Amino acid sequence: MLDFFARNRVATLCAVTILAFLLIGAAAPGYLSLSTASVVMSNSLVLMSVALGTMLVILTRNIDVSSGSVLGLSAVVLGMMLNDGHSLGLAIAACLLTGAVAGLINGLLVTMLNVPSIIATLGTLGLFRGVMLILTGGNWIEELPLSLKALADNGAVGFSVLTVIVISSLIVVGLFVRQTRFGRYFYAVGDNREAARHLGIPVKLVQIAAFVAAGVLAAIAGMIFAAQIGFIPNQAGNGLELKAIAANVLGGVSLLGGSGTVPGIFVGVIFLTSIDSALVFLKIPAFWNDFIAGAVLLLVLLLDGRVRMAVERAIRAKRYAVHHHTSPDQSTASSPKTMSKPRTQEAGE
Amino acid sequence: MKRYLLRWETALLAMLIAEFAIFGMINPRFLNLSNLLYSTSDFAQIGIVALPLTIVIIAGGIDVSFASAVGLCAIVFGIANFFGMPLPVSILASLAAGAAAGLFNATIIHVSRIQPLVVTLGSLYLFGGAATVLSGVVGASGYEGIGNFPDAFTAFAYFELGGLPAPFLVLLLEAAILFVVLHYSRFGRSVFMCGLSEHAARYSGLPIKTIQTITYVMTGVFAAIAGLVLSSYFGSARVDLGTATLLPAITAAVLGGASIYGGQGSIIGTLLATLVIGYLQQGLQMSGVPSQISSALSGALLVVAVALRHGSAVLADFVAARIMAMNRKRAAS
Repeated sequence: MLDFFARNRVATLCAVTILAFLLIGAAAPGYLSLSTASVVMSNSLVLMSVALGTMLVILTRNIDVSSGSVLGLSAVVLGMMLNDGHSLGLAIAACLLTGAVAGLINGLLVTMLNVPSIIATLGTLGLFRGVMLILTGGNWIEELPLSLKALADNGAVGFSVLTVIVISSLIVVGLFVRQTRFGRYFYAVGDNREAARHLGIPVKLVQIAAFVAAGVLAAIAGMIFAAQIGFIPNQAGNGLELKAIAANVLGGVSLLGGSGTVPGIFVGVIFLTSIDSALVFLKIPAFWNDFIAGAVLLLVLLLDGRVRMAVERAIRAKRYAVHHHTSPDQSTASSPKTMSKPRTQEAGE
Repeated sequence: MKRYLLRWETALLAMLIAEFAIFGMINPRFLNLSNLLYSTSDFAQIGIVALPLTIVIIAGGIDVSFASAVGLCAIVFGIANFFGMPLPVSILASLAAGAAAGLFNATIIHVSRIQPLVVTLGSLYLFGGAATVLSGVVGASGYEGIGNFPDAFTAFAYFELGGLPAPFLVLLLEAAILFVVLHYSRFGRSVFMCGLSEHAARYSGLPIKTIQTITYVMTGVFAAIAGLVLSSYFGSARVDLGTATLLPAITAAVLGGASIYGGQGSIIGTLLATLVIGYLQQGLQMSGVPSQISSALSGALLVVAVALRHGSAVLADFVAARIMAMNRKRAAS
């Protein structure tokens, strides 16, 4: 039992989330409804997209703290193109291109100049925000055309085009990292960069690809932000990068690279976002929000760390027992999560 | 001589002098001594938190929660003051809150054995949330904060000694203390050892957990000091006092030469980097550059400076490898 939950961080989080939903539903009747689900879903779209990009970067054992500024910059590019009278398609293409270029800059700094990723992206966090402010001259972008806002409309089915976009990018990324050769490289590079290099994996290219993908996903988040809110303030996306990392950690993505799944991101983001709506239903003042989010995050980390340590101790005991009557199957089956994952991947390759 | 010239601190000093020269040419009023001294009040808090952060980074950790610890400690002071505690008691309560915040971080890091970045990210939210909740208790609104401090307290930030404004004095005094602690004490040497190799430090019998805990507690206490200085400067304790110091303080530590992997860094470097960052913003403002461009420029400065540092290291490695290869070839022939 303990073993199962230790190995399946996603399952643990799922169970906790469902339990939390049920408890809140019992305390505040009317919470468990389709309309709440729809609100939570549409509120989580921006964070979901950013967190997904951040996951790709973290998988390769880097980190991206510039995504909030990339979101703002690409949203501004989108808004300015639209207000200059360009078509929606062209504006979205420019928006995504901005994100890709921003990601490319991050990737080149990290791979070509060997700057530690947290520092490189910390610098570009300020840089991109500044470029965005220069573009807008410090003004908010308002009066976005209706064609953009229409993207956020919930149709008769209860979800918008944006939901479809985010869900499909989740599926695409999920399939990409699990089913394609290049996607598996992300795990290999993050798990052991030197070994990956010796295997002939284009380590630098993989890292650059991760940063570019993160940039594009942040740009998608920028588009969602602009469509949902209808204007672009100067501080668009501020602080979102930390929230995205928090969602990653909650969803079981290891900051040491090489471990993490897309379903984990989904549950982590939904969990963080549903705190907001739950507080409203429980009639708790909104200023408890950050406190609860932080407490939950730390609690999950603490439990996870303790459980993992207990499991490792149990495994070590088992491994010593194995030495007496050798059975290799058992030793591979019972190795810890972090070690068994890349092993199964390589076996599948 | 060469030993001093080739240090990173010298490069920072050159950067600072270049800044003075350029901004002085654009706007001669920038070089006015009283202007130079008084503008430090606007960025002294960055240095106050960046210095202990440097020590945390050298010991192989990182702390991002100081940004909200600043606000939390300021709010604790404000509440103690609100309930009529005497000034010294309120200040002590605030410092104790800072120490408790640091101890909390260190305990969670050691108990869960999870990367410090993740843990302190969680406590960044927790402390910020706790500060908001606490200020909600006394019914203070987010923007006005808790005010009505005794005059002696609000006068502190405008007090000067020998022409130096008090926040800058606090920074210099702190730098002097931490300089001795880090570079001339047994504790300081073990901090470097911890960061260079935790295993080697453990095998040589150093109490790693205690050393790292002390570095986090120090950061918490100095975050409280920054919170007090800021509340005195603004005349009110607000939740968001420290949020603007998060990125500049990490930038200052890194630009000052601290390696994010631990084991490298210096107090003088961080102090100089704080001045470089602070005067860059002040200078750009005085030269009539809009604030949006100045924020882009300071981001670009960090990227360029760090890229230069790492780029030059890569280049040096490359040159060394070439020389080795040439020597080997010569030896072979």
